[in-house]
Amino acid sequence: MRRLGLALLLALLPHLALADAPGEPRYSRIAAIDWGLAETLLGIGVTPIAVGGLENYRRWVGEPVMPDSVQDLGLRTEPNLELLTQLKPDLILITPQFEAARPWLEKIAPVKSMAIYRPDSNPLLTATEVTRELGRLTGHEAEAERLISDLDQHIAAVRAQLAGRTLPPFYLVSFIDDRHVRVFGDSSLFNAVLERVGLSNAWTGEDNYWGFNQAGIEQLAETPDAALIYFAPMPLSAEQTLARSMLWQNMPFVRAQRVHAFPPAWQFGGLMSADHFLRLLQEALPHD
Amino acid sequence: MTNPSAASPRRWGLAICLLSLAMALWVLQRQLPLATLPAAIWQPDLSDLAQLKVHYSWLPRFCVALLCGAALGLAGLLMQQVLRNPLASPTTLGVASGAQLSLALATLYAPGLLIAGEWVALAGGGLATLLVFALARRRGLSPLSLILAGLVISLLLGALNVMLMLLQPMGLSAMFIWSAGSLSQNNWDAVLFLLPRLGLALVLITLLVRPLSLLELDDSGARSLGLSLDRLRVVALALAVFMTACVVSSVGVIGFIGLAAPTIARLMGARTLRQRLVWTPLLGAALLLLTDQLVQGFAGRLSELLPTGGVTALLGAPLLLWLIPRLRLSTGRPQPSTQRTVSQPLGGHRLLPLMLLGLLLLAVVALLLGQGPQGWNWSLNPELLQWRLPRLLAALGAGLLLGLAGCLLQRLTGNPMASPELMGISAGAALGLMLTLFVWIGAPFWVRLIMGFAGALLVLLVIVGFARRQAYAPERLLLVGIAISALFDAVKMLVLSLNDPRGQSVLSWLSGSTYFVELPTGIMALLAGVILLLASLPLSRWLTLLPLGESTPRSLGVPMRGARLSIMLLAALMTAIATLLVGPLSFVGLMAPHMARVLGLQQARAQLLGSALLGALLMVLADWLGRNLMFPEQIPAGLLAALLGGGYLIWGLSRRR
Repeated sequence: MRRLGLALLLALLPHLALADAPGEPRYSRIAAIDWGLAETLLGIGVTPIAVGGLENYRRWVGEPVMPDSVQDLGLRTEPNLELLTQLKPDLILITPQFEAARPWLEKIAPVKSMAIYRPDSNPLLTATEVTRELGRLTGHEAEAERLISDLDQHIAAVRAQLAGRTLPPFYLVSFIDDRHVRVFGDSSLFNAVLERVGLSNAWTGEDNYWGFNQAGIEQLAETPDAALIYFAPMPLSAEQTLARSMLWQNMPFVRAQRVHAFPPAWQFGGLMSADHFLRLLQEALPHD
Repeated sequence: MTNPSAASPRRWGLAICLLSLAMALWVLQRQLPLATLPAAIWQPDLSDLAQLKVHYSWLPRFCVALLCGAALGLAGLLMQQVLRNPLASPTTLGVASGAQLSLALATLYAPGLLIAGEWVALAGGGLATLLVFALARRRGLSPLSLILAGLVISLLLGALNVMLMLLQPMGLSAMFIWSAGSLSQNNWDAVLFLLPRLGLALVLITLLVRPLSLLELDDSGARSLGLSLDRLRVVALALAVFMTACVVSSVGVIGFIGLAAPTIARLMGARTLRQRLVWTPLLGAALLLLTDQLVQGFAGRLSELLPTGGVTALLGAPLLLWLIPRLRLSTGRPQPSTQRTVSQPLGGHRLLPLMLLGLLLLAVVALLLGQGPQGWNWSLNPELLQWRLPRLLAALGAGLLLGLAGCLLQRLTGNPMASPELMGISAGAALGLMLTLFVWIGAPFWVRLIMGFAGALLVLLVIVGFARRQAYAPERLLLVGIAISALFDAVKMLVLSLNDPRGQSVLSWLSGSTYFVELPTGIMALLAGVILLLASLPLSRWLTLLPLGESTPRSLGVPMRGARLSIMLLAALMTAIATLLVGPLSFVGLMAPHMARVLGLQQARAQLLGSALLGALLMVLADWLGRNLMFPEQIPAGLLAALLGGGYLIWGLSRRR
């Protein structure tokens, strides 16, 4: 009996050893349903073959620019299976948000789900983990490490640049209409960036684990000495009417001219988005 | 209308008004020390945020609530008065959804027009009203047929709206909030916009008081007093539509105030038109103010998210349910639908094999032809067929079931406007499912199936409960459906306006996507369709006799209660299954039986078979078109079917004259 056990163990040994070795395939034809994962792929030098909701990516994320070779999979909640089948990806990346489609996607290629946004976690840290994981999966470990360290250096540089200056806390918002904003709080990616460079978020209210809450603009008056950053795209109704809104015109940050208009930057992205935000921040804050 | 209390309208009306004002005061004192209130109202200290908020946000919102409530109440009163229809209101006649859709279209494609938003809304609302009247005209504009037509048009316009939202999910998030009627303000613009327009409308209404009160008489009586009824109706309706358009373009769709205010005024005992003209706007204003202050006062963190218009709609649906048994409707019972038993041109039965052949051909095309990275191609690739087959089968089964259900319901009620969508069963299933998606995001299919079915069953029970009390009067069944659809619509709008990432998947299911159908589900769908078709064929005799009214079938030995109950149960089951497959939005159940009849399939049995085949045909077509029209974007089958259905309805109308 014991001998049998030993024989079994011996027979298994090579397999055990193999499982330990970096034997996982290196993926190269990757379809990314989520934009945060797609941009991270670009950041580590891998062009995904297909991305969900490409048109909206161009409108809402902007940077990094998706090359023209990337195919649009249509709605992210229902990526086009027929198209995906014909594109023959070797890996499909999703986030828990798009988990519903997993059983279908798994019939086309292996599916990996990666969450940058989870309850009670810092998205900058999880985004770093996800970047490493993507590097490992694609064999671009070095590039992944470089992306991570580049961001760290960039953060350190901005932090040094801002050191010793007293800057107001910032509201980070995107407009829903002329009366409502999405305001980004504690659990948001950009909040993590703010904190790392030594700035603070003016919104102290609750947010969901995606890091935002919906608020009426008058709620932004609660921190009177704050500045405000808002991200494009701006809904038309807001653009036209904000100028006429007395409440808006009398908001402390508007009266003190502490309002910064930013181009689109993906608030639900990964390290690339964090870096993009950092660059925008650097340009917007006065140099001296 | 029963009139329970003989209390004077004054006492109740004043009580409601005072309650709403007290509520407003309570909300106000939480924001600002009342001592500074006069300053906040007249000359706010620009550096004091509390005063600023009161002056530019709370106060205009207070005024907007009063103005919109009064305007909607008056609009509803006008409609009810000139149509002699206790259920008429801006929402039930489709005016609000017309205005809403036209504004959504303008936002996306011609934002420049929004400078004159009220005219855009007026055009949309007016067009919707015309469509409703055109649809209802053939049935003599009876109250019920008008309301049904209103529902059809609202659903159709709602489908178009959902399609816009689906394809532009982020650009339209403002639309979610707005379409559910958010009253929040940040300056006095809306007040200044509404005041002159509604004031003008009010002046015009006072000019109409005398002729309008003559409408209390019947038509001939009024005419004998030298009244041009048609002109009066048109003018009054135009005024009502105009007021609705102003409200919709400034704050979005506010549900049910337009129905509730005049109704409550009457229940309170306001009998003469003058009394009602005084109390209806007061009540409308008070009700909307009360709801809005409740939202501001108690919704806490949600108060910014919760659009007041959605909340009023939520409260209004139970009111409608409560009202239905208390309404005295001159039903204008439709003529037996064996109308003009014309000789069947193609001999009906010979059409059926042709339809079957057409269906098979279409199915083959839908299975093999599609778009890929290199454009259109025929393909036998099993890897592609594994995606297409389940969707095809689901569409086939769902279409079959909806066609059958529609045919059963139309025969049961003797009303060609009846359909599963309009009975609210689809809406019930949808409510159950929406709940599931929010409580348990990745719920497996069988859980969703059970929850959807539970919702459908619940609605069915309500309907049966009502039906028993009302001796199965078909009109009441449909009215229950309207109330439940309204409830569902309110919940849907509220859910979407919460701007939650989950909203997207709710939206996709609501619009009837077959994306998540698996092969076993597809096979079961088809089987269910075929089995229920076979189960309904033995009912043909009843179905032939039932539309003839009450006495004929009874004298021929039809067990009326049993027959109606079994037909209803069968139709409800079919609807529930179909809704789970393709969402609550399609018009196939309305369209297929109608087409079958137009094609000459008049006998019950032939119409049943024809409706089933045509329903399947339509749904398969919708699914295939949806997958390929905007490739790689996929338009859900239910939505596309609803659009096809809308087109068919309008085409049918224009053809008739």
